[in-house]
Amino acid sequence: MEQEKYLFSIFYVCVAMSILAGVLVHVFIPSHAAFIWQEIPGFSAIYGFVGCILIIVLSKAVGHQWLQKEEGYYEKH
Amino acid sequence: MIEWIHPGLIFIFGTLLIPVLRGKWKKAYLLLLPIAALIDLILMSKGVFGAIPLSVWHIRFSEYVLTFGRVDELSLVFGYIFVIAAFCMTLYALHVKEDGHHIAAFLYVGSTLGVVFAGDLFSLYLFVEIMAWASLFLIWYRKTRASSEAGFRYIMVHIFGGVCMLAGIILYVQNTGSIAFNAFDWGFGWSHLASYFMLTGFLVNAAAFPLHAWLADAYPEATVAGTVFLSAFTTKSAIYMLLRGFPGVEILIWLGAITAVYGIIFALLANDTRRLLAYALISQGGYMMAGVGMVSGTLLAADGAIAHAVCCILYMGLLFMAAGAVLEMTGRSKLTELGGLYKRMPATFWLYMVGAFSIAGMPLFSGFISKTMIIESAATMHLPVVWLMLEGASIGAFLIAGLKLPYLTWFGKKEPVVEAREPPWNMLAAMGITAFLCVFIGVYPQALYGILPYSVEYAPYAVGHVVAMSQLLLFTFLGFWLLRGMLHATPTITLDTDWFYRIAGKKFIWFCEKPLLDFADSIDKVLKDIANSFVWFSRNPTAASRIMVLTIGAVIARPFNPTYMRYERDLEELRRMYPNESVHRVAIGTGVLLVLMFFTLYLIIYLTHGVLWV
Repeated sequence: MEQEKYLFSIFYVCVAMSILAGVLVHVFIPSHAAFIWQEIPGFSAIYGFVGCILIIVLSKAVGHQWLQKEEGYYEKH
Repeated sequence: MIEWIHPGLIFIFGTLLIPVLRGKWKKAYLLLLPIAALIDLILMSKGVFGAIPLSVWHIRFSEYVLTFGRVDELSLVFGYIFVIAAFCMTLYALHVKEDGHHIAAFLYVGSTLGVVFAGDLFSLYLFVEIMAWASLFLIWYRKTRASSEAGFRYIMVHIFGGVCMLAGIILYVQNTGSIAFNAFDWGFGWSHLASYFMLTGFLVNAAAFPLHAWLADAYPEATVAGTVFLSAFTTKSAIYMLLRGFPGVEILIWLGAITAVYGIIFALLANDTRRLLAYALISQGGYMMAGVGMVSGTLLAADGAIAHAVCCILYMGLLFMAAGAVLEMTGRSKLTELGGLYKRMPATFWLYMVGAFSIAGMPLFSGFISKTMIIESAATMHLPVVWLMLEGASIGAFLIAGLKLPYLTWFGKKEPVVEAREPPWNMLAAMGITAFLCVFIGVYPQALYGILPYSVEYAPYAVGHVVAMSQLLLFTFLGFWLLRGMLHATPTITLDTDWFYRIAGKKFIWFCEKPLLDFADSIDKVLKDIANSFVWFSRNPTAASRIMVLTIGAVIARPFNPTYMRYERDLEELRRMYPNESVHRVAIGTGVLLVLMFFTLYLIIYLTHGVLWV
């Protein structure tokens, strides 16, 4: 448990640093964004989080409702 | 003076000595072959065999000239990585006892090199076929029922792909009269039929959606070392063939992006560790296909596809090595049966994580410097949907290969669920070397960029890239941690496009065996009845016709004549007397004599009148 807490404190520091760096990049480096959403500060962070959740929820839904079958499926049918 | 040495033939003819050697000598020899091939390649690149690009080993084949050695910068990059991968993988497979396994692996590697250096379509086809058949044995050497069946399906799909290629080649040669393997014409309409066939054949090997199911079906059923070999050669050589044959074909962008996302979704549903990785491999192939498609817009995409192929061979190999090590040491590969192994196999875990960080595209690891080239190409070409799909597949790759699989294998449970220890030294060493290469390319990308054929300027470690990728992956982890309860594995399988040939194929066979055969039987029966009635009639034609007349008479007379019973009695009598067997039996010699007489008669007529009935 101690180790997990320690690892998570490192993780949070990394998150904070990446956000800070993102803001700095946005302010100081002239933007050459190809897409409109790249103008949003922290877009990657949002996309990473939302994308991750979407992938999990969507694929689990598709799997449970439709595609996942018991292991002997092909032998039975 | 030797004109040129084909590196593929070093492997192919090198297999001849494998059954002869024993013990340490054999192991040394196995490792020596890839090293010899690497030296050969280096000599080639230094211009020992002539200035690059060179085209050698022209061999006459009927009216065509085959070219076995087309060496240019593109084929050299693939040659290097295939040989280096072959070394690492041979080291990994060094403890395998069966000679046949090593021979299959080397034939597979050698024929892949044959594909890479083939300058014409005939020799390309030859080596693609050897690849398919040699790799089949890496699946069958698992020697389980599942692997034998999966192997059959694997080779069936590859035969389909091979036939498509062959059809394309024949049409192409028919249309152009040339067998040179260069970029094919692309467009819409019947005149491009050859290209469509060829592309289908290439896409089967590249495992593009919807022709990808063979990979996820067969690779997890192969031997531990076999899967490692399989992960590198078939799909990446297909990327090479696509780069040669179909650079800048737009449909590849979309196929690639769809494959990248599709692979991720199915990987997330997989329970078998190596099936999960197989879907991750399919997904990574999608990036390269998209890269090949985007060549029309920017050459960065071509370099990106090649660089990503190089990196992918290394990190996918590493991931399959580590997952294979778990299978080798525990006998288990299902996530539902694994957990808590960190206490027993920490080194394997950390080596796996190097591969996982590479596939995720984390800065300082190999995937980062190659994957971003392709994503950047999508931005250069202003393809927003493709960009979002590829970036999304990056999230997914980290989620499945970087988080879900290691979490459920090495953690997830407090105590190890099964007894295990670290794998033997050769497996660890192979993983170590591969992991080193992943990190080396990550921190020193110039080593790879220097040999890319199009030499496009690209700075992967621009601050913006690093920050964006870090944010993406860190927040992916956050999402994973929040929803990790949903990610527990279930003991299920996932239906994929192989359903169509596994279930529909079974249904088709059932249709052939039941309704179709019943129909054939009924026709058979009718014909037999007719034949039998003729036989019956010919036994005694007079009596038979009398029986027939009386039968009809009985039917007609019944309503009018009260004495019709007489007919019936007569009929009974006649039927009783009618011979059931043939009246006269003759000895077999008589039959032969009759046949001979017939032939003699025919011969006489033939000789006197010429051919009869013409």
